[in-house]
Amino acid sequence: MYDIPAGRYLLLPLLLIPAALLMVGTVPAYFLYLANSLMILVVLALGLDILLGRAGQFAFAHTAFYGIGCYSTALLNIHFGIPFVLGLPIAIALAGFIGMLVALPATRLRSIYLALATFAFAEGAFWVFNSWTSVTQGANGLRLPVSSVLGYEVGTNAEALPVIAVICALVLLATMFLATSQLGRHFAAIRDSEHVASASGVNVKRTKILAFVISAAYAAIAGGMYTLHQSYVSPELFTFHLIVLVLSMLVVGGLGTIPGVLVGVVLIGLLPELLRTVLRDLQIWQELIYGAILIFFVMLVPRGLWGVVDSLRRRAR
Amino acid sequence: MIWILLPQAIASGIVTGSIYALVAVSLIIIYKSTDVINFAGGEFVMLGAYVGLLALTFLGLPYALAVLTAAAVMWVGGAAFDRLVLQRIGKLDLHHSILVSMVIATVGLSFLAKGLARIFPYTEQVRRLPPAVKGDPIFIGSIVLQWHDLIIVGVTVLLIGMLFWFFGYTALGKALRASSQNPRAASLVGIPVMRMRLVIWGIAAALSGISGVLIGAKLPVTPDMGASIILLAFAAAIIGGFTNLAGAIVGGILLGVMQNLVGIFVSSGAIAVTPFAIIMLVLVFKPQGLFGGTFQQKKV
Repeated sequence: MYDIPAGRYLLLPLLLIPAALLMVGTVPAYFLYLANSLMILVVLALGLDILLGRAGQFAFAHTAFYGIGCYSTALLNIHFGIPFVLGLPIAIALAGFIGMLVALPATRLRSIYLALATFAFAEGAFWVFNSWTSVTQGANGLRLPVSSVLGYEVGTNAEALPVIAVICALVLLATMFLATSQLGRHFAAIRDSEHVASASGVNVKRTKILAFVISAAYAAIAGGMYTLHQSYVSPELFTFHLIVLVLSMLVVGGLGTIPGVLVGVVLIGLLPELLRTVLRDLQIWQELIYGAILIFFVMLVPRGLWGVVDSLRRRAR
Repeated sequence: MIWILLPQAIASGIVTGSIYALVAVSLIIIYKSTDVINFAGGEFVMLGAYVGLLALTFLGLPYALAVLTAAAVMWVGGAAFDRLVLQRIGKLDLHHSILVSMVIATVGLSFLAKGLARIFPYTEQVRRLPPAVKGDPIFIGSIVLQWHDLIIVGVTVLLIGMLFWFFGYTALGKALRASSQNPRAASLVGIPVMRMRLVIWGIAAALSGISGVLIGAKLPVTPDMGASIILLAFAAAIIGGFTNLAGAIVGGILLGVMQNLVGIFVSSGAIAVTPFAIIMLVLVFKPQGLFGGTFQQKKV
């Protein structure tokens, strides 16, 4: 887990960028859209994994910060003309700040109460997105303007793909550094046993709050990325359903490992497309399939598919 | 002037609150014995409503039998889920948080149940269960109640009473309490703890099933009806500190009444926020709930 030789692996995320540039000219627009969506999901899933998989905090507030990031970036652009490059950091700071506000009381709670409190917070955030119509246009949806990134107009999937790829690559690199850093080890410590961690000198409360804030920042980044390639956003996106989706990615791929998250995102992210060719009425079957996948994997493949690969690798040595 | 509405608000709040209380009790007995928060609690209610509906319309059963059928079917379903899924997870050798995996499993179950209900064209149409007793509304002063409302409160009181008697005075009930307080000690004295879990899940699911049939006459029966109910049940349970049954009942009723009061004095839009606000407020200021006693931190 945290013994990745950072050296050569650091190159891998950077490969996203030439890959993206290659795709723009050659691949049909639909695949560009898929690539964009997947990369956004990668950032979202990595964020949840930091909190759930690495720090062991069972928190469901992720969609709230996704929404905060998304709406903030868009609204800063719409109302104040703030360009993406400035708007995104502001949105991240906002999400991080709110994350801290939530984390301060929440970290006192036992893991199960934490799940409930964050679940309530996420539902509350959804209600705000939906009801604060003067700001968010509520259920009618907010039209997302074309963003300008460093002078370039980014509106279509083709235009957004390289930018999204750059952001995704940066986030992956950051996560790799986090994983092997002291903070990363502290996360693992509080996940495995808070009391032992505390006895070993880890500031448990501060570590938990950091996990929350960082995870919220990731979600906000994903929200900002969303504004780049989509033309409108509605509160419907930020529901419990999305958290379950991301959770499935983590469970299927493997909690706590970067390759695991990637495997999960690709499989679950592409699943609707796969199913669409087989099942005519996807919407109806979606919940059943996700529910079944969650139960199946958490029961039979608890360390995720990457966990299986990993144990095979270890045995091969 | 608004004050005229107060008695009615309180009365109907007590009625809806009873349902929240029942579902909250269901959540609490599962939590107390297995430390698992059942995120599928709302779906148990939904499934119970549908089973009751099917029993009434397709099997033509009388109301009381339909309720019993719903309870029985849900009992089996709940116990089966524990046996086939949760106990299996419990035996896995995971480095950390078997509990997290179990809760994820209940989240999966909630989606599975919702999806299962949604596949059948039968559920596409929004339905309503008939009330237990058809009759004219009852007038008590300025309060108007239906017979069904009284039956809801009556059944709730009856079920809670039965639960208290069961847990307090029967051998099986005491065995259940023992296995939830200290599974290792309980199994040392010969109590089959795993089988006790099945009974707990059965009871919890049956309670939710019955609530489903009852609430189905007041709320529209759709595959999504579980979502709002679970939030309210969580809020009620949290008021009770998630460990105190009596607290949860008070919590449920308080919640039902508060929802109506918010609707009158604030706005109807704010009603939806009440459960979230309560959950956050209680957890921030008094995590042990209003009734839970001193906050206990489980060690290692």
